[in-house]
Amino acid sequence: MPKSAKRAAEVVTRQIDAERRHEHRFLVNEGVARLVMRTTANNLPLARDDRPYQWSTTTYCDTPAWAVYRAGKSGAAMQLRLREYHRTRPRDVFGSGTLWIEFKDDDEETSLKERFGVTNALARSFLRGEHVLPEDERRLGERAQELLANGARPVVVTQYNRLAYSSLDSSLRVTADHNLMYMALPWTSSDTGEATALGPMLGMEPRVVIEMKWYGELPHWASDLHEYLKRESVGERPSKFMIAVGLLLGETDGQAT
Amino acid sequence: MAALAAGEPGVTAEATKVVVVEDDPASADVLRRRLQANGMHVDVAGDGVGGLRLVQEVRPDLVLLDVMLPDTDGYDVCLRIKSDPETADIPVIFLSARGEVVDKVRGLSCGAADYVTKPFQAAELLARIDAVLGQARNPRAPRLARPLERSASGRLVARLAIADQALREHVVALVAPRFDLATDPRADIVLVGERDEMPDDTPEGVPSLRITARTPRADEAHVVTADGHLARIAELVAREQRLDHDLQAAAEALIVLASAIASHDRPSPGHSERVASRAVQMARVLGLDESTRMTIRLGALLKDVGNARLPAGLLTKHGELTSDERAQLERHPVLGEEVLAGFHRLHGLLPIVRHHHERLDGTGYPDHLKAEQIPLEVRIVTVADRFEALLVDRADRSGVSEAEAVRILQAAVGRGELDAAVVAALATQVRSGGAT
Repeated sequence: MPKSAKRAAEVVTRQIDAERRHEHRFLVNEGVARLVMRTTANNLPLARDDRPYQWSTTTYCDTPAWAVYRAGKSGAAMQLRLREYHRTRPRDVFGSGTLWIEFKDDDEETSLKERFGVTNALARSFLRGEHVLPEDERRLGERAQELLANGARPVVVTQYNRLAYSSLDSSLRVTADHNLMYMALPWTSSDTGEATALGPMLGMEPRVVIEMKWYGELPHWASDLHEYLKRESVGERPSKFMIAVGLLLGETDGQAT
Repeated sequence: MAALAAGEPGVTAEATKVVVVEDDPASADVLRRRLQANGMHVDVAGDGVGGLRLVQEVRPDLVLLDVMLPDTDGYDVCLRIKSDPETADIPVIFLSARGEVVDKVRGLSCGAADYVTKPFQAAELLARIDAVLGQARNPRAPRLARPLERSASGRLVARLAIADQALREHVVALVAPRFDLATDPRADIVLVGERDEMPDDTPEGVPSLRITARTPRADEAHVVTADGHLARIAELVAREQRLDHDLQAAAEALIVLASAIASHDRPSPGHSERVASRAVQMARVLGLDESTRMTIRLGALLKDVGNARLPAGLLTKHGELTSDERAQLERHPVLGEEVLAGFHRLHGLLPIVRHHHERLDGTGYPDHLKAEQIPLEVRIVTVADRFEALLVDRADRSGVSEAEAVRILQAAVGRGELDAAVVAALATQVRSGGAT
């Protein structure tokens, strides 16, 4: 469909990072994770929008030539992904009434995210390139459209239980992801309107992924926590998307079981 | 840890099968004896790996799962059970000393049917087991395969499930000239009273008609009036079903012929059968239903039937093909589609025959389709075909191991040729040693 024919999408909700924010991921064992989250709970409230231990199901898109994955290997990439939330783990994707279309621009230390809550039908329509989302000077949406024009479609899915704490002004957010699973997605078509069943499991992460995201300076307690995590973490960890596609292509070995 | 086989006094073949995953031998023993005393067949594993193995082997009706295990945690085991299409419907109950709300929420969100905190009362556990099994039980009994036996007279057989005496006698009088009547499941058609239940033991695929004494409304397509047309309508429905079976037999005969042709053309006899078997197993890993798996099997068996219309000697030629010869060879999917197009009942597998040499990046043939323009069933057969071809020796190269073949296909995924999820299904199937 020519670009001029694309329609502006009706967005239910729009959330935008005010500026690039710091983002560090740590892979830790269950004991360390419990300690970290207990400390966090003493300083931050539970995130208002995240039910404790709700399931996050994230569907990542890439092109047939794996443009996003290849860019990620060089250190910076923009992810196009769709997120759904459930109380219990679903066995399919695109079955929810509301989906979140997310653009996330990563470099080695920081990230910038923009996301749009849209109806299921609109999310499918967006993937077909029939709708554009509201744009601003950061032009993440335009880059997503380029990916779609180059054949980007859903390729891989992650699922996990998330426990999230966040300051009221969103300047600091700490999350713990348990039961992280990576799944292939046998994508058939975005036209049918039916949910797509998940494909085979590519791997499971037996440990816990802790993420800290913040703007500006960390408060003292969080700075101590960050140092503690650096000491106790099993290692620096690539993004879930990079792990998942690595497993899919047989390029990641032993990082998840 | 090895599974402990249960001593099972008084356990019948129909007993509820329970797998207990519990690392404390004393607790496991108490639980086992308590469940056996209630007529259940119990297998016990002491760790997560053993538990998963038992679930695969036993296919139990229920899993009782401790949260804290020596090699992993119960959440992990539960997720693995729920992620495998073959075991996903088996209910899981967590048994745990962790009784905090977040632990229960986490367990239930992993797909468990219930979460019981230790120490528990046996009566409460049994009641919860009953409740969970009651919810999980499929109300439809397993159906038998359609029997091939016909009535001795060669006439069609009708079975009546009509409670109303007057209507029943009327229907018998109407259909008796054309049908033998039977009371067992071996019938060509079942005639069911408008308000009556279809008999539970009716085999899959047996057609039925709803019979009424009144005139059906326009929207009641499956309701037929008990009048002079009933016998003819019932015969048409039953014969259509029988025709389906005959066409199935014709398709099987076609497959035999296609295999015979292929065995002359290929250095590795049985290739099509191996591709079909592999493709069906991959489809099972991907959770595709039986009907789709059947289409994939038939499509894989018949995908090269067009080779029969290629010039003699082209397939067996040694040395490099000329560009003309290659162009001819690449017509075999189109020729195969032409051969099969007359079989209306085989239309579902024509995409497999026509497109099994397409690639996701558009470099395949004959139509240069891209990505999801190629149906999933086709993508599965394509991967199975390339995988099986890699395993055998050819004039220009040696066959490789299954693991190496998977790596080669993953590299093809990286180049954008093959479907990543389908190759992942193959990798899963190969890793499991074909036990899918």
